[in-house]
Amino acid sequence: MDDFGRRLLQRLVRRTPAQALKATLGKWERLTVAQRQSVDFTQPKVAVMEQLVAIFEENGWTVKHITELEMINYMENANRGMWHAFQMTDPKDDANAVEMMQFKEQFKSHLSELVRHVSVKIKKHTDEALWIRIAWGDSYSPPNHLKPTYVVHHLQTPYVFVTSLNSKQKPFLVQALILSTGYQGIKDANLSGQKLTAIRDLLMKQYQQIFPSKYNSPLTEKNETVSNPHIEREQSEHASKRLQMACEAFGDGIVPQLQTAVYKLETKFRGDANTNRTMTKREGPFRCLVKFASTNLLESFRECASSGIASTPVSPLLSSITLKGRNYFVVTENGLPSSQT
Amino acid sequence: MKVGDLSVYIDMSLLKPFSKLPALNAATILLVEREERFQQNLADALVGDTTVTVNVRLAKSLPLPMDNEESRPRIDLVVFIINLTSELSLKSAEASLKYLDPGYFLGKVCFLATNARNTSVPTERLDAMRKLAASLHCPLLFAEDQTPDGVNSATERLLTVLKVAAGLVPTATALYLSSLTRCTIPPDIDQPSFE
Amino acid sequence: MAEMLHLSVTSGSDSSALSDQSASSRVGNRSLRVAEKERRKNEAEDPFVAALKYFSDVEAGTPVVGNDDFENNLVLVEKVAYSRGLHPEAISIMLEFAMSLRMGTTPCVRILKCLIPASVVPQEAVVRAWVWLTVGKIPTSTQILFIKWVLTVFDMIDGKDHLRAVYGFIFSFVTDENLSPFICHVLYLLTRKESVRVFRVRKLLELQLKLGRQPYLLHLLSLYKVFCPELVTLSIPSRLRSGFKNHNNPWKSALSAVQKRNGCQVPSSTSLLFTNKDKTASRKRKHRHLELPALRSVTIQMDQTASSSISSNSRMVVPLVQVHSFAELLENIHRIELPAQMGSLLGSSLALQYLDCVQDESALLRLNFWLGFALHEEFLFCGDGASQTSEEALLFLNKLLSTQHFLQEGFFSSEAFLYKFLNFWDGSLFRPQILDLLSNIPVVPSTKIGQLLFEPLMQLFFTSSLFFKCGLMECLNSMLLKWLTWHSVYALEDDLDISLNSHTSINMTLSGFKDSVMKLIHFVGRLASVGLQLEGCHSVLLSFILDFYETVCDTFLKYGLPLVVVPPPGVFYPALMATDPVSVDRLAYIMHRYKVNLMSAKTQEKVTEAFYISRQTIREFNHYMVVMVNCLWNSKMFHPGMGVQLGEELLLRSNVAQHWRSFDLIHHPAFLSYAVDFHQRCWPARRDMDLNSIKLAKPWSWYLEYLYSQGYDGLKQIVPAH
Repeated sequence: MDDFGRRLLQRLVRRTPAQALKATLGKWERLTVAQRQSVDFTQPKVAVMEQLVAIFEENGWTVKHITELEMINYMENANRGMWHAFQMTDPKDDANAVEMMQFKEQFKSHLSELVRHVSVKIKKHTDEALWIRIAWGDSYSPPNHLKPTYVVHHLQTPYVFVTSLNSKQKPFLVQALILSTGYQGIKDANLSGQKLTAIRDLLMKQYQQIFPSKYNSPLTEKNETVSNPHIEREQSEHASKRLQMACEAFGDGIVPQLQTAVYKLETKFRGDANTNRTMTKREGPFRCLVKFASTNLLESFRECASSGIASTPVSPLLSSITLKGRNYFVVTENGLPSSQT
Repeated sequence: MKVGDLSVYIDMSLLKPFSKLPALNAATILLVEREERFQQNLADALVGDTTVTVNVRLAKSLPLPMDNEESRPRIDLVVFIINLTSELSLKSAEASLKYLDPGYFLGKVCFLATNARNTSVPTERLDAMRKLAASLHCPLLFAEDQTPDGVNSATERLLTVLKVAAGLVPTATALYLSSLTRCTIPPDIDQPSFE
Repeated sequence: MAEMLHLSVTSGSDSSALSDQSASSRVGNRSLRVAEKERRKNEAEDPFVAALKYFSDVEAGTPVVGNDDFENNLVLVEKVAYSRGLHPEAISIMLEFAMSLRMGTTPCVRILKCLIPASVVPQEAVVRAWVWLTVGKIPTSTQILFIKWVLTVFDMIDGKDHLRAVYGFIFSFVTDENLSPFICHVLYLLTRKESVRVFRVRKLLELQLKLGRQPYLLHLLSLYKVFCPELVTLSIPSRLRSGFKNHNNPWKSALSAVQKRNGCQVPSSTSLLFTNKDKTASRKRKHRHLELPALRSVTIQMDQTASSSISSNSRMVVPLVQVHSFAELLENIHRIELPAQMGSLLGSSLALQYLDCVQDESALLRLNFWLGFALHEEFLFCGDGASQTSEEALLFLNKLLSTQHFLQEGFFSSEAFLYKFLNFWDGSLFRPQILDLLSNIPVVPSTKIGQLLFEPLMQLFFTSSLFFKCGLMECLNSMLLKWLTWHSVYALEDDLDISLNSHTSINMTLSGFKDSVMKLIHFVGRLASVGLQLEGCHSVLLSFILDFYETVCDTFLKYGLPLVVVPPPGVFYPALMATDPVSVDRLAYIMHRYKVNLMSAKTQEKVTEAFYISRQTIREFNHYMVVMVNCLWNSKMFHPGMGVQLGEELLLRSNVAQHWRSFDLIHHPAFLSYAVDFHQRCWPARRDMDLNSIKLAKPWSWYLEYLYSQGYDGLKQIVPAH
């Protein structure tokens, strides 16, 4: 194995916890049972690395095989890096009829037409998602396998999820995607997060939603504590109403795990002209960035609203996260959140 | 006519200590807490007292809704639960105070502060809390809401005050007890450890 | 005998089993010296030795890139470092190689990261490395890494004297903005009273102006202030966050692994390193102060006996941990080296003995400083959602208490902590410990006692349960007892100037002390009167209150304090009319002791005019005596001039016949059953019970005898039977 192969493998080994590495190797069908069992994951990473190198060399495996392993590893541990969502627009008639083999072929050929050196690997995950690994090169250099871009696409949906893509390569990817999926445009969905599953569920509305209704929903009954006859809630209707509204806005049960929500304000400063002359007199918008961060943002919001820490009904600014499936907003003077693009 | 209407309106929204007759061997406590968290735990523990019948009313803020006016027993003690890590919690309690009849301030109001030992409590808020309680001549109790022991202790202390406020302790009145327990503003003992 | 035999057999089989085990574990069971020898022998054939030789001999300027020798040797060293740790010599060589930049800056970081000491770190190597810091062009991040390493292994460095000698040199780095947080931490660990100088304080203040109130600067400054309060006039905010973070990250897992592996071989293992560092760990770890670090050996491993190693030690300092008995302590008392981690002193009785004998002011200051911060951070300044009743917190408080009991005095930092804590206390959190700490506080000046103690306590007392009330009574009684004991021990002969706390310089005049004690007694009197009223004269509470007055009534005779304070009516009458005979009897005993004290004081007064007892006190006492005797013996309850007066009509309306008799020793609710019993024994044939017949002269004296025979000695002392 050459030096580069070593480096690539080393990076993979270093970045993955021993247990996850073991699982990945198990999923990889190339290793024999004996080979798999010969690797001792309790020893330091350096030693594990040496053992793997020996196995690779023994079988004459190369960079190609390492990338294969890396891809499996990534698919199993998708919650790494920052995933960005894109949404394709203006479907042609045949957009819903694209099937996998056709997409695979077209995507590869389109991309290699656009970029001279590129290495593309496409694999189907168990949940019907297509995983695409792209190692970019350019006219002068071979594909850089150390910085691959991962793209996840569910066929027959307009959504694409991308991680580690730089702006130089973005146009190529967009082009290739449009050409091979039967859509005519693509736009930034303004949604990003560390958990691929979370942003996918949010965009595809795959979580438990509550819809406003006139009648008492089962929610309120569920939440009414069996209380002692001597305890009386004076403002009981408030609590159930708040819970209802919080769940309407952010969903019930387990909600997609978003980490941040960013609001970019471009509004005029409003305030007493006398007290803050410099601020009110200035021309141009008053810029300000508001960022909410939490390990599970939607759950935090829901908790805040249902417990009364945040006021209800929930501000449309917050409820837009689930309603529109995005977590980046630009708020302009007319008050409504609008898209950046 | 208009003025009369207004006064009637104000009268209705004020909570009064003596507008109703007390029930036999019973005491009613009103727990006001913006977050509505600790009050439920406290309520469950309070009704467990076996010596008297304790009624607990829970509210997020004052004024209380008119609809319950009829069914509501005479309230003997109003407790404002304040989470010191939240400015809103203190502000909300402050805003609620004006819906209490002045009669309550003769020993039938008590503040219960939680999270006082938390890092994120600014000294100013703590001072404001103390000043508020001291200016109203009310006791300010501190409670550990996170632990069962803390909840039990807070319950016991509230019951001690409640029983007196409800007139169940023949040897003491609410005003007498509050003169002994009212909050004082502590001196600035900030730095003895470094002197 | 059989047992012993059995024991010896098993131990024999154990040793035979041992011999079957692998060589490495055998080494572990042999004496250290043998182990060391064996290791040396192994090393001779070891490529590791060759690798070290490479690093010590390699010429400056040798290229790193493509240098296989270098790579192979470094890998070898790394392997040893991560598995067994590096011995002191290897540390010296590698540190010297890295810091001298002989092969450039590239290998520096890698080497620093693998400097895992197996036992100790030679001090000289560290000092040399500090010097290299200024010579070479080491990148800032690497410089920081080095300092972090020093902090991590600080307590494994085999001596601190040379490091202290370059204190000024290390201090000079403090102006570097990138380094200063870490430098301050190193300085914090090295600082002694001598190191605090005006120009250093000035430099730090200057830096503070430039950088703002950085916690690490404040932390160091507050330590300076502890040592030399006259040099640092700056006020330190009380809610100061811990200034230093935990820096052991790159080494933590490797170090603990090495320590675990070497655990059996190196007795002075550094497994407590992390609890030690916890003192300044990040806020995320709860109760990190509360794990008391054990006193650890920081220097030479002792193969020889303690004394010989001490004599062979050229620096002539003896780490406290190497002293194992009180005799050794006495022998070496002039050259004891205290550990960097003052908190570890709490756990060791020898260390406490040392503190107590030497009265080393700076050691006490440091201990107090550490303790103050620990208490403050853990109990007054908690992180979010900390479960406060953790086992560790409890252990910590108990350890503190046992230390205070051992020293028989409180630390002033724990006292200051209590004054703050009382203002936030819910009355239940750590109740036994807090009350115990409270009873240990030294005499509080009478001008402050009200605000510091009485106000928070009063609120807690009146809003809390009967159980708490009793607990507080007991605590205040033991506080008074300790104050009085201190007085009797420390009072000087002229009885005017007493130094209360031998370590703190609080001087208090006798009259000041008397004022404080009087205030305390009056305060308890008030709590007791109102408490009894609120609790319906509960007999358990009454019993705790009488305990207190048993202390109070004897202040003059038992503790030599010229002070007599009689109980308030709110205590006297409930006790007199208590429904249990024990309380009445104890009241009688207390009144008797008052009488003895007052009489003795009177005779003293005539001789020396030592003190003057106010007429008011004597009048009050006489009144109580009259009431007591009239009520119990003379059946003159409700007579005019008695303490309890009721309107004549009211008494008539009550329809109680001969109401004046209702509280005599026959009709008193507490003694009625005795009277009935006596009646039955005296006149077993009588059908109609007539208790009044006991009152006749003869039966009355029999009855009194009977009562005294039941154990009511207090009554006997008031009116001795004739």
